[in-house]
Amino acid sequence: MKLGAAELKREREERRRGFFLALPSFAYMLLFFALPLVIVLIYSFATRTSTGSTALSDWNLDAYRKLGEPIVRNVVVRSVVLAVITTVICLVVAYPFAWFCAHQRPTVRNVLLIAVMIPFWTNFLVRNYAWRILLSKGGPISTFTEAIGLGEVDILFTKTAVVIGLVYAYLPFMILPLYASIDRLDRRLIEAGRDLYGSGPQTFRRIILPLTMPGVIAGSILVFVPSMGAYVTPELLGGGKETMLGSYIVTQFLTARNWPVGASLSFVLMTVMLISTVIYFRSGGRNL
Amino acid sequence: MNEITESQNQRSAAVSLRGISKFFDDVTAVDSVDLDIGDSEFFALLGPSGCGKTTTLRMIAGLEIPSAGSLQIFGEEVGSLPPNKRPVNTVFQNYALFPHMSVADNVAFGLKMRKIPKSEISTRVHEAISLVRMTGMEDRRPNQLSGGQQQRVALARALVNRPKVLLLDEPLAALDLKLRQEMQFELKQLQREVGITFVFVTHDQEEALALSDRIGVMNDGRLLQVGTPEEMYDAPIDRFVADFIGRSNFLNGTLESAEVVCLANGQRIRVPEVDAVSIGDEVQVSLRPERVMIGDLDSAPHDSAQLSGTVDTETFLGNSVVYRVALDWMTIEVEADHRPDVERYHAGDRVDLWWRDDAVAVVRP
Repeated sequence: MKLGAAELKREREERRRGFFLALPSFAYMLLFFALPLVIVLIYSFATRTSTGSTALSDWNLDAYRKLGEPIVRNVVVRSVVLAVITTVICLVVAYPFAWFCAHQRPTVRNVLLIAVMIPFWTNFLVRNYAWRILLSKGGPISTFTEAIGLGEVDILFTKTAVVIGLVYAYLPFMILPLYASIDRLDRRLIEAGRDLYGSGPQTFRRIILPLTMPGVIAGSILVFVPSMGAYVTPELLGGGKETMLGSYIVTQFLTARNWPVGASLSFVLMTVMLISTVIYFRSGGRNL
Repeated sequence: MNEITESQNQRSAAVSLRGISKFFDDVTAVDSVDLDIGDSEFFALLGPSGCGKTTTLRMIAGLEIPSAGSLQIFGEEVGSLPPNKRPVNTVFQNYALFPHMSVADNVAFGLKMRKIPKSEISTRVHEAISLVRMTGMEDRRPNQLSGGQQQRVALARALVNRPKVLLLDEPLAALDLKLRQEMQFELKQLQREVGITFVFVTHDQEEALALSDRIGVMNDGRLLQVGTPEEMYDAPIDRFVADFIGRSNFLNGTLESAEVVCLANGQRIRVPEVDAVSIGDEVQVSLRPERVMIGDLDSAPHDSAQLSGTVDTETFLGNSVVYRVALDWMTIEVEADHRPDVERYHAGDRVDLWWRDDAVAVVRP
């Protein structure tokens, strides 16, 4: 049906009003997100001069070529491995907890979900320092294991410490989307699976897991992405020995003063994350 | 509780419940139910919502574990077995089709879980899908199907496993009226075709009457009466049953002897013999509106009960007219055919009412 002139006018007006309301956030994102991103992109094609400054005249792909060098590759591999381990541990720990939450009375469930978010009330840096004390030689954990005869535990400044710290930091980001998708799962589908001769594990694999996959993927992205780029935790709990991408990028900008390499690495990292997120949305997830 | 009428002599019992109870916290959902459902019988559990019928069905399915009692399926005690270890399948209310699987995968699910060989699975899935006339829809997802089609897939998904007993939880409730009537017919035909025991739960008395070989009426967790649709309609033993299946007038009285009730107005009427109540008990006489004759006492047989009163209101229903007739001690509803040869009365008319002795049933109040 054709719209009348008055209707068209009304529709145009409403669209315009919506645009004006969104304008402040558009402007903010443009100025503080899109623009800096473009600057980073531009710098990644620039050249580092011998004095450590950046020449914005000689455009080339040298910085991207450097990403293939063994040092960078090691950092990338280590980051991916630690991020994957962190994601898997988070998933394994969070799934049963989210399941438990979703099956409680509303009051209990709210208390549990608030408990998940309580750590956010304390500064992230402070919490990392707390882990340093917990994990250090002669610290509470070490004292405990010694007391029960397992001997001293010295895991501070190891990969284990970094993973512990990352799991601790990002676990809530896994729990919440998992909880949301488990809560949305129709219980009768589980009953139908059991009624149709599915054992517990079979029903989990064929029904529950596929139907909560949006939560699994959303949670995994929310844990994997920041773990890859983590800076504070690897620095404080890895003692700088276990350099991950985040630290490496910071070093390139601040210490090595090689902005093009820092910029190109940032950009590649971001692109990879963006692509994986897009793939997730394309695959039908709506859970973020 | 031996008040349950064992109407038909049972063939071997497909499902047998003895003293089955289910408590949720301090709520008694099902209260000591005894029931035998025969092989290849179409059995309806009928009752209002919250009466325990669905819980009873879920206990047979294994989705709930009975708090007390014994539950057997073809002689095998299954009370505490998980659902996947029982030879029964369920058609869930709203069907519970797996949304992430095609129609064919939904139907194949049970067979895959039981590790049936692939070639056999595809033949049986094909058969089941054509049995419910869904051929050509195998690759659709549940959300691309209409309610009626989902219902058929749910049936195929259960029947493909050749269960010994098929359980149906309000199978037609989600369908609109026309589709429901169509599916009623199909369901009955399907049951004859496959010859499996069907146990279905419904709150719709017409559905229960139309579909089932026998009906069990539940209220407040108790099984009140079991019988064929005709028995339930003609000879209810409990006021709730008489009221829930069809409509009825209830005349208060006392059972004087096996075949005589003294009504509250002092009048004595003859009633069919009953054994659910004992002599001297307060009872009610259930009198169906359409079984009360109105007018002309001359045509009344001499062994009929008679009353007289004044028409209070008349409601025209097309094929019949419902009169509310005020007696001096109560008001009763009378339904008369609407035909040219039947006299029509109006509010204020003085009328005589009569009914045959065998038109009534004595019920527990």
